[in-house]
Amino acid sequence: MTRPAQYSGMLDATDRVTGRVDYTINHELPGMLHARLLRATTPHARITRIDASRARDLPGVALVLTGEDLKNRRDVTPYHGPVFRDQPVLAIDKVRYVGDPVAAVLAEDPDVAAQALELIDVEYEHLPAVFDPLEALRDSAPRVHDSPPPLGATFSDLVIHTGPSSNICNQFQLRKGDVERGFAEADFVFEDTFRSPAVQHVPLETHACLAQAEGGRVTVWSTTQTPHPVRAQLAEMFRLPISAVRVIVPNLGGGYGGKSYTKLEPLTAILAYLARRPVRLHLRRDEEFVTITKHAVIIIMKTGIKADGRIVARKSTCYFNTGAYADIGPRLIKNGGYATGGPHAIPNVWVDSYAVYTNLPPAGAFRGYGVSQAAWAYETQLDMIAARMHTDPYDLRMRNLLVDGDTVMTGEVIHDCHFRELLSRAAQAIGWDADEQPQRVGNTVRAKGLSCIIKSTVTPSTSTASVKLNEDGSVNVLTSSVEMGQGVKTALAVIAAEKLDIPIDQVHVSEVDTDVTPYDQQTTSSRSTHSMGNALMHAMDDVREQLLRLAAEEFEVFSEDVVLKGGRASVIGSPSRSAAYSELISRARRGNLLGHGTFSTAGGLDPETGQGIGSVHWHQGAGAAEVEVDLDTGRVQVLRYHGAVYAGRVLNPVQAELQTEGSIAFGLGQALFEEMVYDGGQLLNANLGDYMLASFKDLPEIGVSAVEHLEANEIHGIGETSLPPVMPAIGNAVYRATGVRIQELPITPEKVLRGLRELRDG
Amino acid sequence: MDEDGQLTLSLHVNGRTHRVKARAHHTLLEVLRTQLKLFGVREGCGVGMCGACTVLLDGKPVSSCLLLAPLAQEKDILTIEGLQGASGELHPVQQAYIDHTGFQCSYCTPGFILSTVALLSEHPDATEDQAREYLTGNLCRCGSYVKILESVMDARDRLRRP
Repeated sequence: MTRPAQYSGMLDATDRVTGRVDYTINHELPGMLHARLLRATTPHARITRIDASRARDLPGVALVLTGEDLKNRRDVTPYHGPVFRDQPVLAIDKVRYVGDPVAAVLAEDPDVAAQALELIDVEYEHLPAVFDPLEALRDSAPRVHDSPPPLGATFSDLVIHTGPSSNICNQFQLRKGDVERGFAEADFVFEDTFRSPAVQHVPLETHACLAQAEGGRVTVWSTTQTPHPVRAQLAEMFRLPISAVRVIVPNLGGGYGGKSYTKLEPLTAILAYLARRPVRLHLRRDEEFVTITKHAVIIIMKTGIKADGRIVARKSTCYFNTGAYADIGPRLIKNGGYATGGPHAIPNVWVDSYAVYTNLPPAGAFRGYGVSQAAWAYETQLDMIAARMHTDPYDLRMRNLLVDGDTVMTGEVIHDCHFRELLSRAAQAIGWDADEQPQRVGNTVRAKGLSCIIKSTVTPSTSTASVKLNEDGSVNVLTSSVEMGQGVKTALAVIAAEKLDIPIDQVHVSEVDTDVTPYDQQTTSSRSTHSMGNALMHAMDDVREQLLRLAAEEFEVFSEDVVLKGGRASVIGSPSRSAAYSELISRARRGNLLGHGTFSTAGGLDPETGQGIGSVHWHQGAGAAEVEVDLDTGRVQVLRYHGAVYAGRVLNPVQAELQTEGSIAFGLGQALFEEMVYDGGQLLNANLGDYMLASFKDLPEIGVSAVEHLEANEIHGIGETSLPPVMPAIGNAVYRATGVRIQELPITPEKVLRGLRELRDG
Repeated sequence: MDEDGQLTLSLHVNGRTHRVKARAHHTLLEVLRTQLKLFGVREGCGVGMCGACTVLLDGKPVSSCLLLAPLAQEKDILTIEGLQGASGELHPVQQAYIDHTGFQCSYCTPGFILSTVALLSEHPDATEDQAREYLTGNLCRCGSYVKILESVMDARDRLRRP
């Protein structure tokens, strides 16, 4: 078959290298005020008194707002959250983590706003605090929330399991087969515990919001990946019809999940409403660190296996630390929970997964969405099992990887499986050989490690798109997909241009503006190229139908006899009877042709068994790492890494590589050094001096395989799939090199040295 | 200094002299963004660790978030907006970044490009290792490093050509 259309690179590349990309922080409005926030300095306390009078009296201060001012208002609701409405825009009565916003100051001059913060006096009655999810589950633990928080209009497939008075924010369970019978049939049963810490997304552009509230409307320019959920929530808070709320999203300077759902928008909009002036809030880096994090988790994994290497049962208990507010935690623990089933054909699976409130910054969506934590557990454990059974970890994986017709952990029969090919490609790329001994050179030792993962995409979900075929034959695509560097606009332009067979420079993909661009659930979950891409295909088909009808009328033929090619409609077999799209539109006096498309997936899981449709299709990835460990310092350097990912059809080969290479760099940091370090709830490394990101010096030689299967005619998103394999592949390589098995991320020199000493001391 | 604590500064930015008002504690980054609206200069970390706010000061890369604006007087300041030629043609380094797509979200890109310009002016024959070392102070959270390195090496070859 002929290769479908592709484009390499980004359509707005020139803007990107000249500093002209439009970000939210570039926007300002006449009369705009700057907001600064006073934040809690204690993890859990009652606010007994706030005195903001000195701040209010400071010349240049326009408004000082506290939770006290909000709690009895009837015109706005001061609580938000995508599942539970449990997060106040400013602390009301109580603070629940160090960094919880307590008061906001508005001033025209940012220096004055900063000065005013220091004039606000807050008195606290300190309460016992809890930081560890296991401790938080004890009966004697302090309660982060005094009563169960109110549930909002939430995801249709999400069932909430919460206790009446506990720190369990939500619980998910999965029951496939009969796990106890599975363990009874197993020749070996292994139980191990794995931990991942909280890390931060660290988008170089921190959260920012500019809000205006006047004339019965609320408008925000915001750094959000989820414009429509934000719009709906603002409408609810201000008791407005959704049509009265407008969310505009310029390009994002990185998101990685951290810019999902309401963050700054509710507070900034309320401030603008009360001050009757536009307000901008732009977080400093230390504030970004305490706004949202990846979930820290403890996973206890018990796996039963036959002597021939077939896994027959797995039981996972997952304690996700969701922090002080639910955010999307109640949903993430579902995905992270069932993900512990892995890309393996296991007949009996049991999962209990908990989101637990603690007095730490809220945890939410983070690239990988729970799967990184799950994969760290199951891919590390599989390697441990291989070592215990004296078998090759590559063969053990191959033996268990899902193939077409198997059932995944949620009970669905899976098709279009490529796990074996992906693992094989990754392994071959780094020269994996089971018999290869670690290479010792001086005080360093080198070895290789593997991993393979499965990830769902949000299901059910809905995307819609509109297109305008203009009077000159050019196309405007109206979409609410957010461009954050993943190249979604270019991918959509490829699809639109291909459908009408016009040059890609004739297509313009819109900015997000909910007044104009139609509904999209969210730019997350590696879903946009697939979901929005399909919605756009439907919209383009709508326009194609109209063009074909116009041409059929014009040339007095059946529309089946017309072909659309090269920007023209032509009668098949009669090339002289042909008209440009622009001519057809103007002759018919149509102005433009409007097309609309909706793409919606169905699914969801049974709340008792976790069985059903977990994902419209399953993302598949594998990784292989070669590391060098310094035996004197414990330092791990990754020398080579190969990521293999299933892409279905690649629309943009360069962007596909970039997303995969980026996932690998992202995972490298989480494997080796990224960790939010707390002392008594106080974050100790909320700056880029103490919190390390992967830089050029950490970069291994990277290889990428984006595997296609054009016959399947399906696009798979690849924004996250290459991330979860990174951490276990590196950990497994470190084990092969040194015999040291690290079960808690990150793999720091201290842990490696401690492991080496334990091995030496027996 | 006026009654509002503002100093009048004279800054030479992208070949032109600007008179701006700033307080003594304002950074060059703040002044370039808020007064001159040079939005290619971007704050990432505020402590000189990420390189997103890199500008060239007399040809040397500096973190504009760490430099107090008054101290930047009498220096030639180059931002990404000043890198294009008089008639808008792209600098060879910019063209190389386009040709290799050495970016994703692009927030860090102006800093990387300016650091690359400085690297290749100091070391016209820079090796890959030298480039990695020199650019370690610029962070790309999207992880576009592979393509950035390709861009840098290609830019080196373009600039070396007579």
